[in-house]
Amino acid sequence: MPPQRDFAPSTAPLTRRSLLTGAAWAAGAVALGRGSFVVPPAWGQSNPIKVGIATDLTGPIGFAGKANANVASMVASDINAKGGVLGRSLQLFIEDTASNESVAVNNVRKLIQRDRVDVVFGGITSSMRNAIKDVIVTRGKTLYIYPQLYEGQECTPYIFCTGPTPAQQCDEFIPWLIKNGGKRFALPSANYVWPKLLNQYARKVIQANGGEVVFEEYYPLDQVEYSATVNKIMTNNVNVVFNTVIPPGVGPFIKQLYEAGFTKRGGRLSCVYYDENTLNINAAHEFEGLASCLDYFRAIKDPFSAKLQADYDKLYPGTVLFTAGSAATGMYRGLKLWESAVNKAKKVDRDTVAAAFDRARIEEGPGGAAEMVPGKRHCKMNMYIAVAKNGNYEVVSQSKGLVDPKEC
Amino acid sequence: MTRNQDRVIAVENIVSVGFDLASFSAIMVLMVTGLGVIASMMGVFNFAHGEFLLLGAYTVYLTHSHGYPVWAGMVVAPFAVALVGLALERGVIRFFYAEPVVAMLGTYAIGLVIRESVRGLIGGLYHSVPDPLIGSFSLGAVQLSRWRCVIILVTAIVIAVFWFVLTRTGLGLTIRASLENPALARASGISTNRVYALTFAVGAGLAGLAGGLMVPIFSMFADLGVRFLIQGFLAVLLGGVGSFEGPALGAAVIGVLSAGLPWVLSPVLADVLVFVIAIVIVKFRPAGLLSTQRS
Amino acid sequence: MILVLELVLLAVGLGLPLVLDHFWIVLATRIVLVCLPALSFDLLWGYSGIMSFGQALFYGTAAYSAALLARDLGFTSIFVVVPACTVIGLVLALIMAWFLLLGRYPPSTIFVALGTLTGAYAADRLARGWYYLGGQNGIPSIPPLTAGSFTIAEGPVYYYLALVVLVVVYALCRALVRSQFGLVLAGIRQQEERISFLGYRVQHFKAIVFTLAGGICGLSGALAAFHDGFVWPNMLGVLLSTQIVLYVLFGGVGTLVGAVIGVAGIEYVSFLLADNFQTFWPILLGLLLLFVVLFRPSGLVGLVVTERERFGRFGRAPVRPEAGGSHGAA
Repeated sequence: MPPQRDFAPSTAPLTRRSLLTGAAWAAGAVALGRGSFVVPPAWGQSNPIKVGIATDLTGPIGFAGKANANVASMVASDINAKGGVLGRSLQLFIEDTASNESVAVNNVRKLIQRDRVDVVFGGITSSMRNAIKDVIVTRGKTLYIYPQLYEGQECTPYIFCTGPTPAQQCDEFIPWLIKNGGKRFALPSANYVWPKLLNQYARKVIQANGGEVVFEEYYPLDQVEYSATVNKIMTNNVNVVFNTVIPPGVGPFIKQLYEAGFTKRGGRLSCVYYDENTLNINAAHEFEGLASCLDYFRAIKDPFSAKLQADYDKLYPGTVLFTAGSAATGMYRGLKLWESAVNKAKKVDRDTVAAAFDRARIEEGPGGAAEMVPGKRHCKMNMYIAVAKNGNYEVVSQSKGLVDPKEC
Repeated sequence: MTRNQDRVIAVENIVSVGFDLASFSAIMVLMVTGLGVIASMMGVFNFAHGEFLLLGAYTVYLTHSHGYPVWAGMVVAPFAVALVGLALERGVIRFFYAEPVVAMLGTYAIGLVIRESVRGLIGGLYHSVPDPLIGSFSLGAVQLSRWRCVIILVTAIVIAVFWFVLTRTGLGLTIRASLENPALARASGISTNRVYALTFAVGAGLAGLAGGLMVPIFSMFADLGVRFLIQGFLAVLLGGVGSFEGPALGAAVIGVLSAGLPWVLSPVLADVLVFVIAIVIVKFRPAGLLSTQRS
Repeated sequence: MILVLELVLLAVGLGLPLVLDHFWIVLATRIVLVCLPALSFDLLWGYSGIMSFGQALFYGTAAYSAALLARDLGFTSIFVVVPACTVIGLVLALIMAWFLLLGRYPPSTIFVALGTLTGAYAADRLARGWYYLGGQNGIPSIPPLTAGSFTIAEGPVYYYLALVVLVVVYALCRALVRSQFGLVLAGIRQQEERISFLGYRVQHFKAIVFTLAGGICGLSGALAAFHDGFVWPNMLGVLLSTQIVLYVLFGGVGTLVGAVIGVAGIEYVSFLLADNFQTFWPILLGLLLLFVVLFRPSGLVGLVVTERERFGRFGRAPVRPEAGGSHGAA
């Protein structure tokens, strides 16, 4: 699931290049070798535990990917500083999946076949996950941990998901939207699997709570003309726009919706992947009142989250933020849960760790504790509802305890 | 609902639709006019034309990110891109005049270089640029974005100026002559070198203007030019090579189809249908809808 | 000289798995599979004067068909899928040829180029939009290719399979271009009008070659789908199509072996540069292509192969008054 925003290339103007999936016909090389980095451990070079990170460092998802890589590096050095896992240090192998599934498959093969990592974290969009999971889990027989919010229904053994599921994002959120917006919903969506399955689930919840879906439409990812959609929203008296259009379409869509006067006449815009990074895509007045439901917002007050945020910002100042929509929180959660699982399992082989991961729990994480649901390979976590005010998010509601992902 | 309300809603729809079609077509017209004139006069199908659009957008983005007002960037963009076009024409493109296919490949290579350079410079991501004119006019219940009005206005003015120059000035006559019958123009003593250089630069400048104008609406990203390029070529073939009005008409048709079909069909189908319809029309009217070229 | 090149490449190709480990063999297999569409483009442009910017259309359609056959109908047998997809490639190319090449007026090169470009682009957009085809995400997790009860997994086995296919197709193309049929093609390439005045139905010849090229792409598309294990819209679009053009131009048009050299060369260099010059590489590639177009139209192969041996070339025309080619599009 791909949110992203402006990236002002402050440190390295010529960053890693990208091949674009959405609307891309960039004729570049089929370059079968891509950027890869190795983050060597500070000590214990002889027998490290090899951790593979496969994420989009470039491309439209590049923004989120960089956040993921940053978090992984931060957590790994943190773990190593505290003695590593089972007395062994962690060695990170970071591969750029470049928002391009073909390149990704090749680079992930490097992780599995050449570097022989013990576990892989990564993938952001569902299409990326689907492309690389085969290489990792089936052909590579390696554990795979997927950190991003997504549409659910990923029940393949040895794949563990540490990001929010539709149930976690919709069950409380939609009733809140009905109360704070209205009963008539519109579902403008990007045309791919995440919006389709999310909308299926959302529709059920909407109808169960007395709402109605006025229309549900799918657009090509690079569509930037939304006048037909906006017109439909206005003339049909839609109260809530449950948006799953992603960049690059989302910027123009929100702008065009605002210009048509949707929020002025009381409409509520909502978007479950919209985090602090994506807020920069539009001008503040255009998304005023936008509501989102995620596992973490920077505005959350708990001390652990605040400290984590501060540590991250100190290490990585600039525009690549630690946010929930960028899978950064899921990455943190995944790494810490994995650490705890390996410590309990006392071994690094896939099956033992998988069994331990199945019941892993961390007391502290961004947004609170997190706990895997045994047998379901998905993660319980706190969920928060926030509304955009004057260009920043304000948390308006918090779940009562950890929310069940209700998957598999 | 009463009959009156029905009628009002229908009129609103028509105005809305018409407005959107007009603003999208305006951009297409600016871009395609340049492409068409270059193709007619020099026989060069400029595969780098989409990248001129990109350069225009990039110029605006650059000026904005350095703190200057967006509209300043938009004024600079056409001239900057025209200069680039001129340099390219004098440096590389003029070797392609005799061979249309070589021109295709060569300009494609140039386009690749430009596109990838921009990609490297912007870090491979998407960027947004704010509208110079925020907000919209209200026409009854219909909202007309201010910026889109400006786009339509600017395009109309530019086209009007061009029409005036082409039909009422000596320079215009020279250009039209070279457009309709280059061999004869050469034989008549017209310095085709200079006319070609000027035309290429102006064509590039138009594309740069189009790119600059549209960047607040569409985000700025490296592959911005590609879809416009393909639509642009279809528009040129559709409208007919060899005149000034032909490509403009082709652009209008493509623009209308492209922005209009999603109102009646599913957006995905509409997307594909534009191209299919265009290529079918070109197949059956190979000279284009308005061709005046003497072959 | 061409024969020498061909034999050298064959020897290298046969010997590679013996010296490389698994990861590199898989890479090499992908390179071998891309050689096939490149070969098809060389047939079209180097031998028949058809500038097709849309070969990926056939490649991608076949790949998607293979994925659908495997996913929806459960066919993974090489004996079923590969012939089926080759036929799909042939049929699709035939339809395109009928539309683009045949008709009352012979189409201009520009029209064919644009038509194929549009075809690839429209197919790309359609695949991105159609949920049944997986939309943006494509179709993942394609089960591996089987032959009876034996699974053809990626690695040396698949590599040799791809290599054998490439050699066979190459040999067939070679025989074709050196046959009578090939001579007519050479004539078409040099001076189309003259050949048509001699009584040959030029458009029919072109259509036949176009169809064959589509079939070749279809074949490789199917193999690629099973090798990678997933298909996605980029396999259909303008990106891949223009890459194919690049490979062949770089290697040398009109020699068949040039296509293979071009693919191997560009892929190898891009892999080498990937870690260090990632941002520059596409720019370099573009500059390289420009250089080739301007100064060395005969490509890499032209360094070792004499003009006489080349069956076709393009480039800046020698200074002579050319009747139909000086300007205009139609």
